[in-house]
Amino acid sequence: MTAGATWLDRFRSKPRVRTALAAALPVGWVTTFLFLPYLLLLMHSLWKLDDNQMIVHQWTLASYRRLFTTAVYPSTIWFSAKIALSVTLLSLFLAFPLAYLLAFKVKRHKNLMYMAVIIPLWVSYLVRAYAWKIILGQEGILNGLLAQAGLIHRPLEFLLYSKWAVIIALTHIYTPFTLMPIYAVLEAIPNSLKEASQDLYAGRWNTFRHVILPLSLPGVLAGCTFAFVLSMGDFIAPQLLGGNDSALMVSNVVVSLFGVAYNWPLGAAVSVVMLVIVVSLLTLANRLERRFNYRGETAAARKTDALAAIATEARA
Amino acid sequence: MYHTLLPTLFESPPLVTDSLVELRSLTKRFGDFVAIDDVSLHIGAGEFLTLLGASGSGKTTTLRMIAGFEQPTAGEIWMDGRPIHFLPPYKRNINTVFQNYALFPHMSVWDNVSYGLRMRHVAKPEITERVGQVLEMVHLEQLARRAPRQLSGGQQQRVALARALVNRPKVLLLDEPLGALDLKLRKEMQLELKHLQTQVGITFVYVTHDQEEALTMSNRIALMRAGRIEQLGSPQDIYDRPATRYVADFIGETNLLPARVASPVPAGSGRVTLIVDGQPLLAPAPASATSAGQEVWLSVRPEGMSLVNGATPGDHNVLDGTVEEGIYAGSLTKLRLRLKDGATLVLHLGPSDHAVPVGRTARVAWPVDHGVCLVG
Repeated sequence: MTAGATWLDRFRSKPRVRTALAAALPVGWVTTFLFLPYLLLLMHSLWKLDDNQMIVHQWTLASYRRLFTTAVYPSTIWFSAKIALSVTLLSLFLAFPLAYLLAFKVKRHKNLMYMAVIIPLWVSYLVRAYAWKIILGQEGILNGLLAQAGLIHRPLEFLLYSKWAVIIALTHIYTPFTLMPIYAVLEAIPNSLKEASQDLYAGRWNTFRHVILPLSLPGVLAGCTFAFVLSMGDFIAPQLLGGNDSALMVSNVVVSLFGVAYNWPLGAAVSVVMLVIVVSLLTLANRLERRFNYRGETAAARKTDALAAIATEARA
Repeated sequence: MYHTLLPTLFESPPLVTDSLVELRSLTKRFGDFVAIDDVSLHIGAGEFLTLLGASGSGKTTTLRMIAGFEQPTAGEIWMDGRPIHFLPPYKRNINTVFQNYALFPHMSVWDNVSYGLRMRHVAKPEITERVGQVLEMVHLEQLARRAPRQLSGGQQQRVALARALVNRPKVLLLDEPLGALDLKLRKEMQLELKHLQTQVGITFVYVTHDQEEALTMSNRIALMRAGRIEQLGSPQDIYDRPATRYVADFIGETNLLPARVASPVPAGSGRVTLIVDGQPLLAPAPASATSAGQEVWLSVRPEGMSLVNGATPGDHNVLDGTVEEGIYAGSLTKLRLRLKDGATLVLHLGPSDHAVPVGRTARVAWPVDHGVCLVG
């Protein structure tokens, strides 16, 4: 009996130990692959670079000072944000009507159509980015078609190796990400709400404006956040398609700071600033999403409910 | 003076005044499935009409066609002397209370209720006044700023009602509006709805599968079956004089005894002699003519029968059976008997009836007029 009462039994009798053991793997994973790298990044950004471009383990804010005082770094961040915003708006304009059609108008082959939107995601990112080289290049399909149609006499050069190419490619790549959450919220809107709106004298447009659109906002926000954050941090499409403009994208600057310039502290500092921007955006979007999510319990609603409960109890 | 006043004082108001909504040979097919099969119906102004039926009987489809959510495959819908079946829902002077309320989750109670008025560009002060009035009527004025999800089921139901009534429609359609509420609240709301309807004088077309609800609330009931109206009439008509076996079975509890017609009876004549359990019994004659030997059903309600000892009261039918079971059901006790031919008979014992022990023979009697001879 006593021989049987091993460590295993002691372990069974202690739920705290069990919880700790169960949590160990995920916590360890996150620590090793997320927390530690970020810590390392932060530390690098605070280390000093000596005159021989060597990292000295001394704390300094020099990299941050340089980041904010050299015009090129804030301006690349700003430029990237503008590119990301363009991509976001374009994706939204493409994705929303498409999601609307898929959710409400398409009756037959709905899943097939939805898959047609999703399948490009299975194709390698690189292949999709390269495809735009073939389409937009001087000898490319688009120039060929325009020339054949007699619209142009010399191939258009601004198409490829410019910010336009980057915007087009990123829009193509990230539109499915925008579409999916929008489609999901539209699908979830009960048909009876549309009927109720029509029953209450609202035509198609008013029903869209007062019912469909407000209820789709959480999905729109989620989709826009995806497109913005992903395209702001993208560096492969700018590298392949951006030409000289790619040097203005912040991620490419980070790549060259770590690579060519070998200035890890400054590269790390730019990364940390980017991280702060993205995390703030995500937090903001998350807040807004919850604000517009009428189905789920929001903090405000819980508070009102609690107050109402207290009031009822007080009355009783 | 007197003879002008008297009729208005003593005559009860007619059930159907003018026909407000008219369904003319309405048919709806979904592919091969015929949901509504050539239904014609007049709905009177100020009437409380219930479309009653099992699921799939076509009651909701009928309602949705009146609302404008479904287009009829054939036939017409007229309202106020004009055809309306081709109009979109937002151009009909009809409002709907939806089964799960369909309240806009992103709007407050106030915004939900004022939605219809805002869409029709009613002036602001009038909106404020009318929404305030209707919220008061459904006792929700304190909750105007709440979101629908912060309300109980019963409160949401009232918001849905207020949202429709505030538009002062000529016709209000209600699609199982009490279906999601618990029994006690449902009973309360039934009476409240009925009072409200009398008070506002709006025509109610009410869809339900709950026969008790239909009996409690309606001026008339249209009992639907397989896309057709099986019987149309006042609750009492339908309960006391079911036209078919299906109706007798659907509405309330009843005993359906297999019977055979003893002698031919022309249509509309007084009484018919039926052979039930080997005995001749009397019943009011059915509307259609019957021939001798025809297989029919005799329907008798459990509460229409009583136990008798020895002497048979006049103008009553009498049957003997063996007591099989006594079932206590709170306010009453049910007694189940088996007849000689194997059919069972259930009756409700009155307060003066003495329980008969199981296995004994009991004699059951009912007034001839309480029975209904069902041909179909």
